[in-house]
Amino acid sequence: MSALIARAEARSPETGLGERIAENQRRVFQIAYSVLGNAADAEDVAQEAFLRACQKSALLRDTEKFRGWVNRIVFRLALNRKRGHWRRLARDTAWQMNETPTMVDGAKDAEQQVMLDRLRREIERLPGKLRSVLQLSIVEEMEAADVGAVLGIPAGTVRSRLHTARKLLLDAMK
Amino acid sequence: MKNACERWKDPLREAALTGTTPRDLEEHLRSCAKCSAELDEERARAARLDALLPLVARGAEPSADFRARVVAGAEAAREGKRARPWRVWTLAGAGAVVAVVLVIGVVMYRRTTQTISFSVTELAAAQKLAEWRAPSDGLLATPGQEILRTMPRLGESYLNVPVKTDEEE
Repeated sequence: MSALIARAEARSPETGLGERIAENQRRVFQIAYSVLGNAADAEDVAQEAFLRACQKSALLRDTEKFRGWVNRIVFRLALNRKRGHWRRLARDTAWQMNETPTMVDGAKDAEQQVMLDRLRREIERLPGKLRSVLQLSIVEEMEAADVGAVLGIPAGTVRSRLHTARKLLLDAMK
Repeated sequence: MKNACERWKDPLREAALTGTTPRDLEEHLRSCAKCSAELDEERARAARLDALLPLVARGAEPSADFRARVVAGAEAAREGKRARPWRVWTLAGAGAVVAVVLVIGVVMYRRTTQTISFSVTELAAAQKLAEWRAPSDGLLATPGQEILRTMPRLGESYLNVPVKTDEEE
C-alpha cells in the first residue's frame, strides 16, 4: 500500500497530493459522513473532492487555502449526492420510506444504533440552515470559523445556530 | 413541575445546554426541588446528546487504502491528461482542415451563383433597353430618311444599296 503511494508520489512529487490527503482525509471523510451517514458513499465523495483538488495545482501548494477549499467542495458534493439519493429513494421505494431504518455505521451496540438512527432522523427534520451548521460543527477540527467559511456566514452566526439546533434536538430527543 | 415554575422551563434548558446557571434561576432552584430535578434531567439529556452527536460524523473511518486509491486515481487522471494532447492536436488539425474546405466550398458556390444571377439580370436589362422605343420616336422621322435609305452612299452603286426594312432598323 505505502509502496503504491510512494511510487505514485515519486512520479509527481511536485503536486504534494499525498501530503494534502494525509492532512485532510479524516476531516473531509467526516464531513461527507455526517451528511450522508454511510461510509461507502462518504468515501466516494471524499475521493471525488481530492481528485478535483488535483486539477488545481496552485491549491495543493497552499495548505490553508486547500483546507478551506476541500471543506467546501466535499460538503457540496455530499449534499448533491444526498439529494440524488433521496430522489432515487422517493422514486423507487416510496412505499417503504418511513418503515426502512437508516443504517448507521460505527455504532457500538444495538441501543446506540437505535439512538443514532433516531438522532439522524431528528437532524434531518431541522431547518436547513441549522442542519448544515450542526453537521459541520460535529466534525473534528472544525471550529466555528471553519464552518462559517464553508457556509459563508460569520463565526458568531455559526455559534448561535448551533445553540438553536442543540436546543431543538434536546426537545426532540425527549 | 408546578404551574408557577413554567416560566423557568426555558432558562432550565439554557442552563443545561450552556452549563451556566443565572443568579435568579439559582435562587429559585434553592427553593424548588422539582426544578432542581428537572435541571438534572435536562443536563443528563444534554450530556447524552453531546455524546451521541459526534458519532453522527465520527462513527466511521475512511478505509485503510483510501489514500492509496485517491493517489492512484489522481495518477490515472494525470496519465489520461498526458495521453490526451496528441488526440487534441489531431482533432484540432482535422477540424481546421474541415473548416478550411467548408469555407472554400462556400466561397466558390457563392461566386458561381452570383456570376450566373448577375449575368442573367444584366442580359434581361440589356434586352429591355434594346427593345425600348420612346413614344416620341415617330415624331423624329424626317422625309429625307426614305432617300437616305434608298440612295447609295459615296462610292457605292445603286445595285449595292441594301433594301432595309423597318425591323432591321
